[in-house]
Amino acid sequence: MAVTAAAATLAPGPSHQRRAGWGPWLFLTPMLGWLLLFVVVPTLMLVVISFCERDSLGRVIFTFSTENYVRAFDWMWLKILGISVWYAFLTTVICLLLGYPVAYFIGRSSERVRGLLIMLVMIPFWTSFLVRTYAWISILSQEGLLNAALTSMRIVSEPIGFLYTPFAVVLGLVYNFLPFMILPIYTSVEKLDNSLIEAAYDLGARPARVFGQIVLPLTQPGIAAGILLVFVPAIAMFAITTLMGGGTNPTIGEVIQNQFTKARNQPFGAALGVLLLVIFIFSLWLSTKFRRAEEQ
Amino acid sequence: MKKHTTLLSAAIAGAMLLAGCGKKDDTLNLFVWTEYVPQAVLDKFTEETGIKVAMETYSSNEEMTQKLFAGGGNYDLIQPSEYTVEALIKDNYLQPLDHAKIPNLKNLAPEFREMPFDPGNKYSVPWLSGFVGITYNAETIPGPVVGYSDVFTANNAGRIVTLDDSRELVSWAMTASGLPINDVTDENLEKIKPLLQDWMSKIKVFDSDSPKTSLSNGDVDIGVIWSGEGAILFNQNPKFQWVLPAEGFHMFIDSLAIPKTAKNKEMAEEFINFILRPDIGKMILDEFPYYSPNAEARKLLSDAERNNPASYPPGLDITKALLFKDVGAQGSKVDELITSLKVQ
Amino acid sequence: MTSSNEFAPVLPARRWWLPRGPAIQRVFFGTWTAGVFAFLYIPILLLVFYSFNDSKLNLQWVGFTTKWYGLLLQNEVLIRAFQNSLIVACVTTVLSVVIGTSAAWLLYRYRFPAQQTLGLLIFIPMVMPEVLMGVSLLVLFVNLGLPLGYTTLIIAHTTFCFPFVLVGVQARLQGIDPALEEAALDLGATPLKAFWLVIVPYLMPAIIAGALMAFTLSFDEYIVTVFTSGADSQTLPLKVYGMVRVGLNPQLNALSTLFIGATALLVIASQVFSRNKST
Repeated sequence: MAVTAAAATLAPGPSHQRRAGWGPWLFLTPMLGWLLLFVVVPTLMLVVISFCERDSLGRVIFTFSTENYVRAFDWMWLKILGISVWYAFLTTVICLLLGYPVAYFIGRSSERVRGLLIMLVMIPFWTSFLVRTYAWISILSQEGLLNAALTSMRIVSEPIGFLYTPFAVVLGLVYNFLPFMILPIYTSVEKLDNSLIEAAYDLGARPARVFGQIVLPLTQPGIAAGILLVFVPAIAMFAITTLMGGGTNPTIGEVIQNQFTKARNQPFGAALGVLLLVIFIFSLWLSTKFRRAEEQ
Repeated sequence: MKKHTTLLSAAIAGAMLLAGCGKKDDTLNLFVWTEYVPQAVLDKFTEETGIKVAMETYSSNEEMTQKLFAGGGNYDLIQPSEYTVEALIKDNYLQPLDHAKIPNLKNLAPEFREMPFDPGNKYSVPWLSGFVGITYNAETIPGPVVGYSDVFTANNAGRIVTLDDSRELVSWAMTASGLPINDVTDENLEKIKPLLQDWMSKIKVFDSDSPKTSLSNGDVDIGVIWSGEGAILFNQNPKFQWVLPAEGFHMFIDSLAIPKTAKNKEMAEEFINFILRPDIGKMILDEFPYYSPNAEARKLLSDAERNNPASYPPGLDITKALLFKDVGAQGSKVDELITSLKVQ
Repeated sequence: MTSSNEFAPVLPARRWWLPRGPAIQRVFFGTWTAGVFAFLYIPILLLVFYSFNDSKLNLQWVGFTTKWYGLLLQNEVLIRAFQNSLIVACVTTVLSVVIGTSAAWLLYRYRFPAQQTLGLLIFIPMVMPEVLMGVSLLVLFVNLGLPLGYTTLIIAHTTFCFPFVLVGVQARLQGIDPALEEAALDLGATPLKAFWLVIVPYLMPAIIAGALMAFTLSFDEYIVTVFTSGADSQTLPLKVYGMVRVGLNPQLNALSTLFIGATALLVIASQVFSRNKST
C-alpha cells in the first residue's frame, strides 16, 4: 500500500503547466500553420463537398443539398460502420493481449538487447503490405502451408478454409497493427523505476500482485496510446480487409473508397467520412470530459 | 533552433525540387493502367525517337478521371475504357486525332474501326481488348459449363470467385435475365435483385485485381473473370478451362486518347503510331495476353498464344459482344445495390 | 538487496541478455515474445524462401535459383520506385519527429488557449480515411498551384504520420518528473536548452518508437500517394499494387529480402559495436 502511494506521487497533476510566453508561441506557430493548412482546410473542403451534388461524370456540382447525409443514415451504411468498428475492436483487444507481454519483456531487458529487439519488431513491416498479405494468403489458402502442415500431421483430414473469413480479416489486421501496440507500451515499460518493483518484492508481494498493482497502472499511458494508435486507424482500413476477407463483408473504408471510384459519388463519400470524423471527435471529447470528472 | 534549421533546409530542398520539376515539355506524359504498358515498349520508343516518356498509373477509370478533372497533372495520353471514352467525348474532353500523323491505323482489325462509342477512331485508338467470361477448374468441376446458370449452382456454392465490380455483376444478371446491359433503370435493377441475391450468396471471393489467386490456390474452383486472367491461368495449367457465357458476354476495350489539356499532341500521336506497328503490338501481347485489336500483330503470334482459349476464344463472333455504355449517375445506384446485397 | 522472500528478483551479473525479474516471469514472457516473433516472421521467411524459388507464382517449390536477384538489379523502374519510397519515408520521418515531439512537449508544458481543440485537430489525420485525405490534399495542392511531386508527397505523408509520433511522446510525458526540467532551469539554462539537453534524452525511446512508426507508415502508404504524387515520384507501393494484376513478381520478394537483410545486419552490427556503452 505504501508502494502504491509512492507510485502516485510520481504522476503530477495539471500543475505542471505554465502560461505560454512568446517563446513557446514562436515554436508553436509553425505547427499551427501546418495543421491549419494541411488538416483544417482539407477537412473543411470535405465538409463543403459533402453538402454538394455531382454530375454524371462524377464531378462535384456546388449546389447545396443535404441528400448525402439523409442517405447516410440508412441502416445499410450504419451496419457497415458497425462491422468496421467491431473488427477494429477485436483487433485492438487481440493486439493488446499479444503485444503487452512482448513490450514488457523488451522493456525490461538490458539496454543492448532492448534496441535490437525493438528494431526486430519493426523490420518485417518494411516490406510492402501487399507482399506480406499475399504471403499470408499463400499460407492460409486451401493448398497453402498451414493446411499442408495440418493434413500431413493428420490433425485434420480435409483442408480448412481459413481464408476469406472474418478470422482471416482479423488475423491480417492484427498482424498489421501489432507493432503499433507494442511500441507505445514499450516506451512506458522502459521508464519503470526498478527500485519500486524491487521494493514491492522486498515487502513480500507476489509477482501477480506486483504486476497488477504497480506495473499495470504505471504503464497505463502506454496502453492508452497503443489502443488509440490501433483502434482508430483500424476502423478506416480497407485494403487488408478486402484481400483477406474476399470482399464479401465491406468495411466503411472500402465503401468510402468505392464512392471515389466506381460509384462516382464524391459528395457521398465525403459525407460518410465527415460522419466518421464527427463520431470519433465526439467520443474523444466524451472521454476527456469523463477523465476530467474522474480526476476531480 | 534545431527545428527551425530543419524546417528551413526542408523548405529549400523542396524549392529546389520544385524548380527542377519545371521543364517537362520535352517529355511525353502517359497516364495509363498499371501493368498495361510494358517498360520495354517505352524504352524502345525513347531509343528510336529520342522522346523521353514519363508514366503515371491508375487502377480504375474513375481514379483516372478524378485526377484528370482535379487538374493534377498535364497528361498527354490517357487510356480510358470504352464507356469512359464515350463520356469524355460527350463532355468534349478529348482532342480529335490527326489521322495523317497515324498512318499505322491501317493495321487495326476492321471490327475495331467503327466502334459505337467512337466511330472512325476520331478520338481514340484501341490498345487492348478482352472479355469477361467463365473460367473453371476442369478437374473439380464436372462439365459442361456453358453459361451463368452453370456457374451459380448449389453445388458450386462457396467455391466461386467473381470480379468485384458492381457494374459487371449487374450486367451478368441482366444478360441472364434477357435484359439489355445498358438499360440500368431502377425498374430493371429491381427485377434482377432476387437473381443477384441468389448468386451473391454463393460467391466466396470478390476480386477485380487478381482473381486468378484464389483459383490457383485452390480456394475456389470456378469464376467469372477477365480474359487476361483466364489466359494466365490456362498458361499456368490447362486444367483451367475458359468459356464465354452462352447467355451473352461483354467485351471491354481500352484505348489511347489525348485529353484536352495535353501539351504534346504531336508526340502523343507519334506514340500511338508507334504502338500500332506489328512488332510493337507483339511486344505488348507477349506480356499481356489480351485480345489484340492489331490485326498485323496477331499474325505474329505463336501457335500456343493463338490457341489460348481465353485470349482468342475459338469460334468467337465478335459482333455478339456487348459493350458497356456510360450510365452516368445510375452508377451510384448500381453500387448501392451490390453493397446492400453484400451486407445482408 | 538480500531478502528471505523467494520472490525477490535475482539480478545475475554476467547474464546480461536476460531481463530483470523472477525466473518464472522471464520464462513466461520470454516464451510469449518468442511466439509473437515467430508469428511476425513467418510470412517474411516465406518471402525469403520464395525469392529463391524457380517459379513465377509463389506456390510450389520448383528449384533453387538466384535469377530473381539478377533480374531485380537490372529492373531500373523497380529500384527507382524503391529509392523514391526510401527518400520520402526518411524525410517524412524526420519532419514527423520534429513536429510531433515539439508539439507534444509544447502542449504538455504550456497552457495555450483552445488547447483541447488543438488536441482534437491533431487526431483528424489519424481517423480520416486515406482516400479522403488523398483527394482533399490533391484539390488543395492544385489550388495552391503546387506541382505534384516529392514535395506534395512528403507534405501529405508527414500530415498523417506526425500524430503517431505525438501520441507516443505524449504517453511518455505523462508521469515525467518535473524536477528534471526544474533542475536544468535552476542551473541557468533557458527553457529551450532545458528541453534539448534534458527532456529530449528522456523522451528518446518514445522518439525512436515514433520514428519507427512514421517510417513504416510512410514507406508503405498507397492511397494517399496515388493522389499526391507525380510521375517522377512513383513509390514502391504504387508499383507493387499494379504488379498484382499480372501476379506478384518474385523480384519483389528478392527486393524485400535484400532490404530486410540489410537493415537487420545494420541493426545487429550497431548493437554489437556499441559494447563500449555502459549497460
